[in-house]
Amino acid sequence: MEICRLEHIRKDYHMGELVTPLKDVTLTVNNGDFIAVEGPSGIGKSTLLYVMGTLLKSDGGTYLFEGSDVSGFSDSARAKLRAEKIGFLFQDSAMIQALTLRENLLFVQSICKKKDPAQVEELLRQFGIEDRADFLPHQLSGGQRRRAMAARALIHHPALILADEPTNDLDERWSEEIIQVLKDQAKKGTAVVMVTHNSRWAAEAARRCRLEDGVLFETGKNEREK
Amino acid sequence: MRMLIWKNIARRRTQSALTIAITMLTVMVFVMVLGVFQTVNQGLALSRERMGADAVLIPKYATADGGDLLFTAIPENIYMPAEVIEQAKALEGIAAMTPQFYCQTLALSCCEPGEEARIIGYDSSSDFILKPYLNDAAKDGITADEMIAGSGFEDKDLVGYNYLVLGKKFMVVSLLEPTGTGMDNTLFMDIGTAQDMCLESEVLREDWQDKDPHDFISVIMIKFADGTDPQAFVKQVEESGIDAKCLLTGDTIASLQSQLDVTMQVMFALWAASLLIAVLSLTGRFNALARERKKEIGLLRALGLKKSQIFFLIIGETCAMAFIGGVLGSAAALLAMEPAIELLENAFKLSSSVWSGSLAAACGTAGTALAVLLGFLAAVMPAVKSASMDPQAAITQGEVN
Repeated sequence: MEICRLEHIRKDYHMGELVTPLKDVTLTVNNGDFIAVEGPSGIGKSTLLYVMGTLLKSDGGTYLFEGSDVSGFSDSARAKLRAEKIGFLFQDSAMIQALTLRENLLFVQSICKKKDPAQVEELLRQFGIEDRADFLPHQLSGGQRRRAMAARALIHHPALILADEPTNDLDERWSEEIIQVLKDQAKKGTAVVMVTHNSRWAAEAARRCRLEDGVLFETGKNEREK
Repeated sequence: MRMLIWKNIARRRTQSALTIAITMLTVMVFVMVLGVFQTVNQGLALSRERMGADAVLIPKYATADGGDLLFTAIPENIYMPAEVIEQAKALEGIAAMTPQFYCQTLALSCCEPGEEARIIGYDSSSDFILKPYLNDAAKDGITADEMIAGSGFEDKDLVGYNYLVLGKKFMVVSLLEPTGTGMDNTLFMDIGTAQDMCLESEVLREDWQDKDPHDFISVIMIKFADGTDPQAFVKQVEESGIDAKCLLTGDTIASLQSQLDVTMQVMFALWAASLLIAVLSLTGRFNALARERKKEIGLLRALGLKKSQIFFLIIGETCAMAFIGGVLGSAAALLAMEPAIELLENAFKLSSSVWSGSLAAACGTAGTALAVLLGFLAAVMPAVKSASMDPQAAITQGEVN
């Protein structure tokens, strides 16, 4: 089943001069897909995720989410879509600083009105941060924060997970764990789009794409993972 | 959302404490200046009411000077015909006038006030000299067996008790506040009663012989109408043929008025400056707060918060902190006001009734309301900006948290 589809998406930035990181991006994401988007730094991979996450409006093309054209959505409708359907794993370790790890997860559930404290505890355990549940973000290491963010991306059972360099700050063991979690989510039917410049982790994805000169090319399929 | 507001305040302790402290201090200054301004303003308004007479008509043969003329007759046995009152009514430029009758200065003792006391009769129906000083019990006039004591008798605890004056029993119904003049050592009674006493008292009767004190008064205290030229009024009296001469008290009043005006201007400037400081410091603080949170606001938008929720989150936090700062600042100011007011009362000889619980409550409420209003006004622009910020720009451009 199709989760979202980008058709000839273009995105411009006006920063003294016109910069167009996305010139003609077309991509269909189905449930259960695990897609890796590769490309050098600064090429526009994060921009692509922001457009897919409705945090950024495209300047051309069509973006359909579950069949609806997102460009016609109001700000509130886009916020509701993000709250209910999309999970973000940002490049920076962005968390709500005034809330503990547990409260950060509960807060996300409260936004989409899906309170489930048992699931919060389960995810804290799964990511090995249950003993840090009552710590504030600044009291954690970068790796612990990254794992907490992964838990937050999953906490509301999104239809689409957008992961921007999800293994940043993580050691080998936890990098593998995060990738495995994303793969497991895909197996459960969640669509995962992961941006990475690490070919090892990209190889773990079922579909691999490369962003070059504003155009997204599908570079291969991992039949084993598919 | 309320939980997030509270946690943001409680767990960003340094930032919250700084914001609350700035709000508290500015509100404290504001409330203190407002309180002092109100106290001095009301006190000075009362002082204006209590400035006494602009001019005094006295017998032609008498001499007098000084501040005593502002409030009371000359403590000498000087008298002029009571008809002068009717003659004076024909004079132009008078807003109010009232006669006084000097009775005697007595060294009182035994069952009496026990001080050297001037006894003066005043006419409660036309009086404007004593009225601003009187309590409710004496404001509408006193009866023949009542009297009013100057502040010099304060330590005698006279009010509510009967005292003998020249063998006649009087109930003291009111104690005047200090004026620093002869009024403080005066016992005031009804003018008719004072005149009666001159006949009834064996001590005083000798001075009157075959004359009726009711046909005489000592002085007429005069309040000018607005715009009356004092010197022209003196000339008018001289030319009118009235059997009295006019003494002006204007120089004393002008000097006092000038001091009061300058004081009020300084107080107002301080009040305006404190308000400006409050606005600037709170605006700066709340702007900084919104800037510091840019990235987190982007994150909250990514997690699904609407623009309106971001707006109310920022407004809620700032107003809550402003409210806490406002309450603390107001409370601190009101505590500090007590000694400040005491100093003011002594320095300006203000009525102790000017600074009251209701005025304190009004100042405190005004301070807290101001804090919340300033918090809201200072935060509304950053809140609108933050709420309408492109979430992606907020995440990528915001400070790393």
